Formats: sequence, C-alpha cells, structure tokens
Amino acid sequence: MKFKTKLYASIGSILVLISIVVIVLLNMLEQSTVNMHVIVNELNERIDMSSSIKFETANIGRELREITTERSEESISISMNGWEQSHVSLKLAIESLEKMDGQEKSQELIAKFKTLHDSYQDTAQQLLTIQRINREVDIEPLLWEDAELTRQRMLQIAELLQGLQEQELKNELFRSRDSYNWAVQMIYIYLTVGLVLAIAVTYWIIRSITKNLNNVTAVMQSVTSSNVGPMPRIAIATKDEFGAIAKAFNKMAQSLEKQSRLEKKLKEEAEEHSWLKTKIAEIATMYPEFRNVQMLADLLILKLVPMVGGSWGVFYIKEAEEDQLYLKKRASYALSDKNNEFDRFRIGEGLIGQCAAEKRIILMDQIPGDNIQIHSGIGVVSPKNSIILPVQYETEVLAVIEIASISTFSPSQIKLLEEVVSNIGITMNSIANRMKADKLLQESQALTEELQAQSEELQVQQEELRTTNEKLEEQYESSETKKQELEKVREALEEKAQQLELSSQYKSEFLANMSHELRTPLNSLLILSKILSENGEANLTDKQEEYIRTIHSSGNDLLHLINDILDLAKVESGNLEVIPKEVDLEKVRQFVTRQFSPVARQKDVEFTVQLKSGLPESFYTDQHRLQQILKNLLSNAFKFTETGSVTLVVQETKDEENFMLSFSVTDTGIGIAQEKQRTIFDAFKQADGTTSRQYGGTGLGLSISREIAYLLGGYIEVESVVGKGSTFTLHVPSYQHDEASEPPLLEEVAAGLEENFEEVNVMDANEESSIQLHRKTLLKDKKILIVDDDVRNVFALTAALEKYETDVIYAESGREALEELQANPDTELILMDIMMPDMDGFEAMRRIRRLPKHASIPIIAVTAKAMKHNREECLEAGATDYISKPIDIDQLFSIMHVWLYRKKE
Amino acid sequence: MITVKTLNNQIQELENIELEMLLEAIYRYYGYDFREYALPFIQRRVYHRVRKEKLTSISALQEKVLRDPQVMQKLFSDFSINVTEMFRDPPFFKSLRTKVVPIMKEQKHIRIWHVGSSTGEEVYSMAILLYEEGLYDKSKIYATDIDACNLEKAKQGIFSIDGMQLYTQNYFEAGGKRAFSEYYKALGEQVVFHPFLKENVVFAQHNLAMDHSFNEFDMIICRNVLIYFNKTLQNKVHQLLYESLRIKGFLGLGQREGIRFTSYGNCYEEFDSKEKLYRKYK
Repeated sequence: MKFKTKLYASIGSILVLISIVVIVLLNMLEQSTVNMHVIVNELNERIDMSSSIKFETANIGRELREITTERSEESISISMNGWEQSHVSLKLAIESLEKMDGQEKSQELIAKFKTLHDSYQDTAQQLLTIQRINREVDIEPLLWEDAELTRQRMLQIAELLQGLQEQELKNELFRSRDSYNWAVQMIYIYLTVGLVLAIAVTYWIIRSITKNLNNVTAVMQSVTSSNVGPMPRIAIATKDEFGAIAKAFNKMAQSLEKQSRLEKKLKEEAEEHSWLKTKIAEIATMYPEFRNVQMLADLLILKLVPMVGGSWGVFYIKEAEEDQLYLKKRASYALSDKNNEFDRFRIGEGLIGQCAAEKRIILMDQIPGDNIQIHSGIGVVSPKNSIILPVQYETEVLAVIEIASISTFSPSQIKLLEEVVSNIGITMNSIANRMKADKLLQESQALTEELQAQSEELQVQQEELRTTNEKLEEQYESSETKKQELEKVREALEEKAQQLELSSQYKSEFLANMSHELRTPLNSLLILSKILSENGEANLTDKQEEYIRTIHSSGNDLLHLINDILDLAKVESGNLEVIPKEVDLEKVRQFVTRQFSPVARQKDVEFTVQLKSGLPESFYTDQHRLQQILKNLLSNAFKFTETGSVTLVVQETKDEENFMLSFSVTDTGIGIAQEKQRTIFDAFKQADGTTSRQYGGTGLGLSISREIAYLLGGYIEVESVVGKGSTFTLHVPSYQHDEASEPPLLEEVAAGLEENFEEVNVMDANEESSIQLHRKTLLKDKKILIVDDDVRNVFALTAALEKYETDVIYAESGREALEELQANPDTELILMDIMMPDMDGFEAMRRIRRLPKHASIPIIAVTAKAMKHNREECLEAGATDYISKPIDIDQLFSIMHVWLYRKKE
Repeated sequence: MITVKTLNNQIQELENIELEMLLEAIYRYYGYDFREYALPFIQRRVYHRVRKEKLTSISALQEKVLRDPQVMQKLFSDFSINVTEMFRDPPFFKSLRTKVVPIMKEQKHIRIWHVGSSTGEEVYSMAILLYEEGLYDKSKIYATDIDACNLEKAKQGIFSIDGMQLYTQNYFEAGGKRAFSEYYKALGEQVVFHPFLKENVVFAQHNLAMDHSFNEFDMIICRNVLIYFNKTLQNKVHQLLYESLRIKGFLGLGQREGIRFTSYGNCYEEFDSKEKLYRKYK
C-alpha cells in the first residue's frame, strides 16, 4: 500500500469517526432542547389557562353581584357585557385545557367543572331573568346562595387544575435533566473510543515511514563519508515512494560518480595550468631586473634549465659582426665546451642556425650515442632529449635557446618553454629599446650639460669682452684726459723749459764762469805747490815738503771735483753732447792699456784687457764718453784693489732684441755689500761713508758714468761680493754704420692695464666723504619724481635730494604724477607712495606702465612696513623695487644708486 | 679626400696628445688636477689661452705655463668659469623656500655646503633666504671653491652694481619677503652686502677633483659645477657628495644637470624634478 493511501485512509477514517460522533451528539442535544421547549411551553400555557379559569370564575361571581345590585340601566348593561365576556373566555380556556391536558385526572376534573359551570349558568340565568322582570324585587336568597355555592366549587376545581399543571411541569423538568446526563455520558464514551483509534492508526503510519527513511539515511550517510570511489546504492524494492527515492538516489549516485571523475580530470588540468602560470610569473618577475641582454641571458638560462628538468643549456644571441649575422653563445648552463666549437653559428648553420632560419622549435628525441656529454662530479652523462627554441620579436629571431635533458620533456614543460620564449622576445626588444633610449637620454643629458658649460663660457667671454671694452673706453677716456693734461703739461713744460733753458743757460754760464774762476786760482795754486814741492832750493824741511805735497794733491782732487761737477751739471741739464762716430775697439784697448798699465805697475796689481772673439772691429758710439766711463770704472777698480788683479773684458751680448757690447771691469778689491750696490750710483755716495777717507774720491764718478751710459743708450750693472771684489759692466748698444744716427726710440710703456681695484672698506674713515662724492656724481641733475600726498615727506625727501643738486619734481596724487610725467618726459626715476587720494599708487603705476615711453622707468614703491601683500601688489602693478616707510635715507640712496645706474653703452 | 681626412685625424690626435701632456704637466708641476675635466671644455679654454698669449700651439703654451707661473694663473682662471648671479634661477630658490625650508624648520642645526661657490653671489642669496625664513641663526654655510681669488672676493661681499637690477628682480621672483635694499649699501660702482650675511658662512678652498669629504651636510648645492667634468670625475664627485650628505638630505643641481645617469642616481628621489632638487633616501 502506498504511503499516500495510508495517510489518506487513516486520517480520513479518524475524521469520519469524529464527524459521526459530533452529528449524533448534536442530534441528541437538538432533541432534548425541542422536548424541553415543547414541554415548558405547553405546560406554561396550561398553567396560564388554569389560572385564567380561576380568574374568570372569580370574575363572574363578582359581575353577577354587580348586575343584581346595580340599579342604573347603564352600569347594568356594562356589567352584563363583562359578565358575558367572562363566560366566553372561561369556556374557551376550559375547552383548550381539555384539549391540551391528556391526563386522566385532569379530564375528570374538567368534566366536573363543565357540569358545574353549566349549572351555574342556569342559576345565574334565572337570577337575571327575575331581575329583569322586577327590578325592585329582591333576589331569592336561596337561588343566590345556590349560584354562589356552585361558583365556589368551580373555583376549587380550577385551583386543583392549576396544581395538577404545576406538578406536571416539575415532573417534566426532572425528566429532561436525566436525559442530559445520559447524553454527556455518551460523549465521553465516543471520545475515548475515537482517541484510541487515532493513536493506533498514527503509530502504525509513523512506524512504517521511519523504517524506510532510516534505511535511506544510512545509505546517504555512507556516501558523505566515502567520497572517493564508487558510491553505495539503496536496496529498497518496494513500490511506494521510498522505492522511488531509492531509484532516484541510485541514479544520482551514478551521475555523481561520473561528475567526480570529470572534476578530477579538470583539477589535474588546472594544476598543470597553474604550474605553468606560476613558472611563467616567476620568470616574469625577473624581467625588470634585466639591465642588459647579457644579464637576461645569464639569469634566464640559470633559471630555465632546472625549471624544465634540463641538465644542459645554451643561450645564443643574434649579433652582427663584420656585416654578417651570427648567433653567438652568450650564456650557458653546465656546459663543458672547452674548444669553443659551439661559440657561434651562422643563420642556417647547424641546428641552432636552422632553428633561427625556420623560426620554429626543434625537438630531438632519443639522441643516439654520446653526442653531448655532461660532466658531473661522478662521471659523464649524455642527455637523450634536446629542444631548440627560437626567441622572436614579431617576426625577427633575436636569440636561440637550446636545452638538453636526460629525461623526456613533458608537454607542459614544452608549453612553458614556448610561453617563456615568446615573452623573452618582447623583453629583449624592450631592453634593447630601453638601452637605446638610455643611451640617447644620456647623450642628450651630456649635450645639455655641454651646452650649459658653453653658454657659461660664452657669458664669461662676453663679460671679458665687455670688461675689455669698458677698459678700452676708460683708457680712451683717460687717454683723452691725459692727452689734454699732457697738452697742458706740455705747455707748462714748454714754458718751464724755456725758463729752464734760460736758467740752465744761466747755470751753465754760471758754472762755466765758476769753473773758469775756480780753475784760474787753482791752477796757480797747483803750479806753485808743484814747484815748491820739488824743493829746488832745498831750503824746506821734510815736514814742509810733506805739507806742500798734500796741498798739491788736494788741489788736484779739487780740480777733478770741479770737472766732475761740471760734467754732472752738463749731463743733468742735457747739455752734454754725444757725438757718435765709428770707434775702433783696438784703439779703446790701446787707450786703457796706456792709461792704466803704469798705475798697475805702481800698485803691483795685475792688469789685463781681453777682447773676446766674434767682436766687431768697430762700432758707433761717442768715443770720448766711452773712454770717460771706462776710465772711471778702471780708476775705481784700481783705487779699491790693493792686491790681485784688475781685468777688462769686452764681449758681445744680446739683450732682448739688440746686440750689445759689454765692457766688464773686474777687480779683486774690497767689494760692495749687497745693500749698498744701488746707492753707489748716487752722487757723492761711496759704499761706505768711512771708506771715503781711506780711498778718497769725489763719489761722483759712478753717477756721472751711469748718466753717460744712459746717454749712449746703455747701462751699467754691478756684481759684487764683499771681500772678494766687484765687477762693473757697461753695456752699450753695438750700433753698426749709420743706425746710431737715429736716436734710440724709447717706447713709453703704457700704464698697466690692470684694473685699479678701489679698496672699498665699509669702515673706512673716508667713507662719508666718498659716499657724498659718489652721491653727488650720481644724483646731480637727475630728474626724480616724488609722488606723495604728505607734504612733509615730500619736503624731507626734497631737502635730502637737493643737497646733491638733484632735480626734484613732485606730485600729490597719481593723476598729478601722470601729468607731471607728461610734462617731464626726461624723468629718470619715480618714488611712488601707495596710499593717496584721487588715484592711488597701484593705479598710477599701472597707468605709467601703459605709457610706452615710461614702460621701463624705475619706479620705487614706498609702502607701509610689513605689508607682504602690499608689496606683492606693488610688484604686480609694475613697481621696479620697493622700500618701506619710514624711509631709511641711506637705503633710499642705495636703491636709487642701483636703479639710476646705467651700464656704459 | 681620404688624405685630408687622415690629416685632420692626425692633427686631432696630436692636439689630444698635447692637451693630455699639458694637463699632466700642470698636475705634476703645480699640483692642479684638470685631467678629468670635460675634454671639449678644456680644449676650448686652452685654445682661448693659446690665442690670448699669441701662440700657435698647445706645446708652446705648455712651455710658457711651466716657466711662467703668471701664465699658469691665467690658465687657471680660464678653467674656472664664474658665471653666477644672486638668486640665479629664481624658481630654484623659490622651491627651496617653499618646499625645503618647511622640512628643515624643525632641525636644530642646518649645515649647507655650497660647492663651487665662485664669487659668492649665491651664498649670500642663500644666507638672505635663510635669514628671512628664520633659519639663519642655526645654519652654517660652507662655501667652497677651487679658486682662492674667488673666495677672497666672496669673503668681501662686495659686488658690482651693474648686476643689482637683475638681482633685485631675481630676489622678488624667488619669493623674497622684504625689501632687497635692506641688505646692501651702494658705494659708487659697487654694493656692499651687510656683514651679518657672512657671519655664519665659512669660506674655504676645496678641490673637488682631489679633496675629500669634510663634513656631513643637510643640504648640498652644487650647481653648474659638474658640467665641466668628464663622466669619470662626475661620478667621483657624486660619490663625494653622496658621502657628504646625510640620509634625507637635499642635493641641488643646476638647471641643465641631472642625476639619473650617474653612479648614485638610484640613491636619490626626485624632490622637485623641475628645479633639480633631489633627496637622498638610501
């Protein structure tokens, strides 16, 4: 039986059972209610009737009396009426009661009452008839009593009837209570039976269901715990729903088994895929590290070979060499190619080259023999499989990778290699591009820097040029002024020269006269002393003779002195004439030898004159003056030399561009200290003041010699060591032929170009005056416009500026400033207050800037202090610089200095 | 055609040899090392000197340079290019002011190295900037240059007035906060900068090609100095700068310079790439 049928049957039967019980109960209740209703209504009616019988009986008695007693016709008729009515209703009530009450006793009583009533009516009729006949007649009391007695009996019977009815009601009520109790008992019984039935049915159903369910659950549970392998089946053969479930489950188990097989397959595929992706990603993370292709090759071969279980790998990169493309080995893994025989391949050469040419993967299985040998620590292994892959970018092969393995490459490994290789192509290309870009960027950076360096150099050169220009200009200016000055000086000099000439003339004349005047007495003195010293008459004592010789030699000295003074005077006044003519060197030699050999002999000092080889025979100079110098130098040499030698050496030297002749006089005398070597050329100076006594002499000789040497276009040099001797060298130009007729042009060396940096010292005591001076030169006659509405300010500034003779104009507002500017287009600087009525400083500046003529005139904005905003606004409005109030006058002058400064064009 | 080419090559080769010998000679005799300066630059400067001395070859100059220290001095000056101005490249100083200064504000001391300070214009600019930002009192600026004459000028703080109009403009563009005229006093053709601006400045001679690091700095300004060096020396100097800069310190280079292709390029991050301000991060 089906589970559904069972449920329907059991639950249905319970429902039917309950319905029957309920209907029965309802019927019973209905019945008892109807019974009760009928009984109570009927009984009530009967009670009512019996009571109305009682009442009407009483009424007829009373009305009869009234009729008999009443006299008025009217009230008699009313009472008659009532009386008739009471009879009728009495009759009705008794008849209906008769009908309703079926009791034997009641019927008996009712029959009795009827008889009584009929008799009463007869009696009453008699009474009434009597009454009607004679009204005045009194009623027969007997008759009346009879009537009244009958009526009394009627009343008794009526009461008995009523009592009977009430008794019956009570009896009925008792009966209905009994039937109710019975009904309740019945309900209990029915319910108990129903309940027992229902429980039994339910139990039976639940048992049958759970049994099968447990069976199914057990099988299903075994499925979850044993997921792998074949699934269990439910073995229920019933035809009910459980049979269907079992069938369905078995079907499901079958499809699940199928599904899981499929899933396993997919999972394996996914794992393989993810391995591939992981490895590719692993390699991809390396890409950013590759700085160059070499690094890529090194790192990649290192990573790739073990990744695919290879044991040997080479990375070839395509490179051009001598216009030929080669695949060159750039990285390898476990390679022992000692002979470098696989270093490079041409495209198409060998399998490597072939791979590049064909652009496809070459896979070699089962390589026979020991073609490739891999050396491990233990021995030599030969790989059996090898794969050669081209690395391409777009369609160009960039590199070739070969990997060999002792085991077979799995399809996923080959797939990995293919994927990686395709990525390498892109990476290699991008590395190449990046390196190219880097190189270009570096080059461009280097170029930029070079450009900057050049521009700075140019700036420096420009600056130098400008400085040079400025200097040249300055020089030009200064040379102009110098020229003028020179002109003046020249004029003055000319004047002076004339005066000088005159005075020199006087001097020369004076000196000539003096020397003449001096010589004349000196001559006589010399001559006379000479005569006396010879002591011709022999009348002088030795002592006297000695005195006379002293007088003579002193006079001689004096004469020399006078001659020297005369020469010096002539030299200094330029009156010493130089008369160049051809001078024979041999003659010079003869002259000095002649002059000084006796002295040498006398002092027992060796004297030699040397003419070095290569000397010209003759040269142009003033022979007399040359001899004078040589004489001077030689006599000095002899003077200071006690023992040893004096040598004159003549040789040719070269000084810068000119050939010179040098006459060196070397002695072995006392020498001259270093510090004295310069002063000995000064007039009246000897090396040592004290020596003058020992050696005598005027001290004029060297200074005259020097002057003369200059006149000859030469000079004298001295070298000396104290105690060892001295060398005086006269250098004179070795003019040949008529060169000397032109006086040597002594180029005046121009004043050094070096800039004279003015020492500017802030703390200088002269600062104030120098500032004043600068300010005056700067500000003098400059037209400056002061725009300020505060007259005190204007006054203060004007006073400060006018001290330097500045041309100050002023305006009290922006508008006025514009007008002033129109009127004075030569204004050079504007001091602009900001807060002004009419038109403020900002507006004024903006307007001024719009005037083409004053677009770049310096405007110094004068603002209240510490108003940063204000300041920026000023600059935006066109101010060139700015100064804050209260104005520091030094700062103002500094600013004006800066902005009035004009570069020299 | 070919002969002309080879001839030119020969001349070029010869000149290169002469140049190398000159630099070697200068190094050996005077101790100045210009051997790693940028070759084209040295070439131009040397030829400039050759022309000025009215000579015809570098060898002739070599003789003069070796015999006459004054010529050496001139050549030395030729090699030291002193292009500078106050607040040169105003946006650079603006960037310092607005971006670097806020970072440095918290520091107790600030040490700045001005490499190749030349005649000092930029050093004074830096001092003014620091003063206006309230950092001057705790700052110390080390201004170094190869040329002692430059340093002498820098120490004086006296500049020619003819640049002042430009400098004033630069000052404003660099975000100057006061009146520029507060810092100087005009004296004739020159302006004297207020001495307080050099109170915290140490002027010292330093030769980038030969001398070593002498301190650790919070900021190094080395603008338009490296452009005169060849790659090797540039890298050497970058090492020196790197070693002299603290972590998180700033390096300021010239407008046309860069750090990317130098050996220490990856140790700095770009702080303001437009103004060539870098920050050392490792």
